[in-house]
Amino acid sequence: MTAVAVDPGVAVAPEGIGSVRTTARLAGYELRLLAREPMVAVSLIGFPLATVLVLAGVFGQGPDPDFGGVAPDDHYLAGYIGVVLASMGLVTIPMHLATHRELGVLRRFRAAGLSGGVVVASEIVVGLVLGTVSVTVVLAAGSAVYGLAAPDDVVAVLGWYLVGLFCFIAIGVALGSLIPTGRAASAFGNFVFVPMFLLGGGGPPRAVMTSTMVTLSDALPLSHVIGGLRQSWLGSTDDPHSLWWPLLVATLAVLSAVRTARRRAG
Amino acid sequence: MPTTTTTTTTTSARSSPTALDRGDGRSGPVIAVRGLEKRYGSTLVLRGISFAVEEGELFGLLGTNGAGKTTTVEILQGLRRADRGSVEVLGLDPAVHGERLRRRIGSQLQDAALPERLRVGEALKLFAALHPTPLPLDELAGEWQLEALWRRPFGALSGGERQRLFVALALVGRPRLVFLDELTQNLDPVGRRRTWDVVRRIRDGGTTVVLVTHDVEEAERLCDRIVVLDRGQVVAEGTPASIVGELDGRAVVSFTDGDLDVRGLRGVPGVDRVDRHGAQVRVTGSGPVLAHVGAHLVAMGRAPLDLRVQLPTLEDRFVVLTRRPLGPKESS
Repeated sequence: MTAVAVDPGVAVAPEGIGSVRTTARLAGYELRLLAREPMVAVSLIGFPLATVLVLAGVFGQGPDPDFGGVAPDDHYLAGYIGVVLASMGLVTIPMHLATHRELGVLRRFRAAGLSGGVVVASEIVVGLVLGTVSVTVVLAAGSAVYGLAAPDDVVAVLGWYLVGLFCFIAIGVALGSLIPTGRAASAFGNFVFVPMFLLGGGGPPRAVMTSTMVTLSDALPLSHVIGGLRQSWLGSTDDPHSLWWPLLVATLAVLSAVRTARRRAG
Repeated sequence: MPTTTTTTTTTSARSSPTALDRGDGRSGPVIAVRGLEKRYGSTLVLRGISFAVEEGELFGLLGTNGAGKTTTVEILQGLRRADRGSVEVLGLDPAVHGERLRRRIGSQLQDAALPERLRVGEALKLFAALHPTPLPLDELAGEWQLEALWRRPFGALSGGERQRLFVALALVGRPRLVFLDELTQNLDPVGRRRTWDVVRRIRDGGTTVVLVTHDVEEAERLCDRIVVLDRGQVVAEGTPASIVGELDGRAVVSFTDGDLDVRGLRGVPGVDRVDRHGAQVRVTGSGPVLAHVGAHLVAMGRAPLDLRVQLPTLEDRFVVLTRRPLGPKESS
């Protein structure tokens, strides 16, 4: 049989093509796909916005001891940055990734030469853009209705925002790596998100929670992200805000995602 | 109980990302597989398979469901790791240089889709961006009749349209080697034949094609050479004709003639056996038995209108190769 020499140099992508440019391009397509999903807008903007407008309206705009001495509308508006991030990390990202795997999209990407690292990096970019846009819309709409004081410490607010992003994107990628189907991811994500939202700073203030609820609330990474945001934005809060806890949860999530990726590659 | 297998993949000395040149002025095969083993849990799904694929071939990996075909091509593309054996694809070890290799091959994976809302044009642009010198997308879309579908979401495509898109995505990076895994699965007969034309066109364009299929007719019609896998082992290898030739190559000639005295046929060259069932006559033999029987009948002045010959097919051989003993329930 005739054998023809193959030049391995032909059609080999240049070094680095699989990194920044490819990540940006993939993230761009992923954002377009998510923008075509009505449920994404509902869970990231519709739900938090409707809830924060109702709660801020119910509890009023004057300083309240049950809210750590700050106005309830400010308490909720500042804290809902965390709610948006949690919704993204617990529902949107896992559902998106698990659906991709279920349909074989991730296998097809990998077979085409897109590394797992590029896919994860693009999810981080997607989370960053999606989270920032959603938070901006919710804050802008909420502020337009109730007004919101300027942040007490802008740098700290940005810091806590980035911690929240890191924590919930990591959780999202880890869940999306573990859960086999989009429907399962949606069910699990909502099952976890709703109690976390209610006990983690999106629902009633800590002053009216039972001791069991407070204990549970202290264990949730969302409580600390929201507490940190409230503390840095409003200068006061009675919510927990230990920086190490959401960072530890995020680190564990990253390790879990890496372990799952290695196991699947076997 | 299966014995424990050491999980090491042999990285051959030629696995560095260099040319396939063996140093003697001749190039090696595009794919070289030696003693490949893979175990899932306690199940050994590949039992030391070996084969080679040469440049420009349309090579078939044929086997029943669960024979190990998809696992084999996933290892060849570096999507899975082998437990034992060595693999070389385009001069690279897929376990070591998987990502680099995958940028140089085209791949149509079984059961791998695209996001439902991703448009055809977006998919082509995304996959083209992974290669330094992709095919011009307008040409590619024209070649595979995708222009009219450019803005259509993947979820709205028919089975045939999806297959055309997958093939276009596999070819967009001008690969030297393409893997097509169960390409005609779930297609109607018309779509299947159109897809076969597509596969021939890819090969005619100079690309080496590895076709993974459980469809014997597809392998027989398309492939230059075939490896038949059964329960993780290579049970036959060669051209479709040579594999069929390994079967006891007896032909069955049949025709209808209620008045013919069949005793005369027994002396015809090549005839082993003559059976009559009413007016239906069946002559079993070897060599050019059809010609001899036809000549005999014409000489007797009894040329039948329905003279037919049934030759052994690849399917006959495949059934023999992959035949399993009946279990207790089936045999009872």
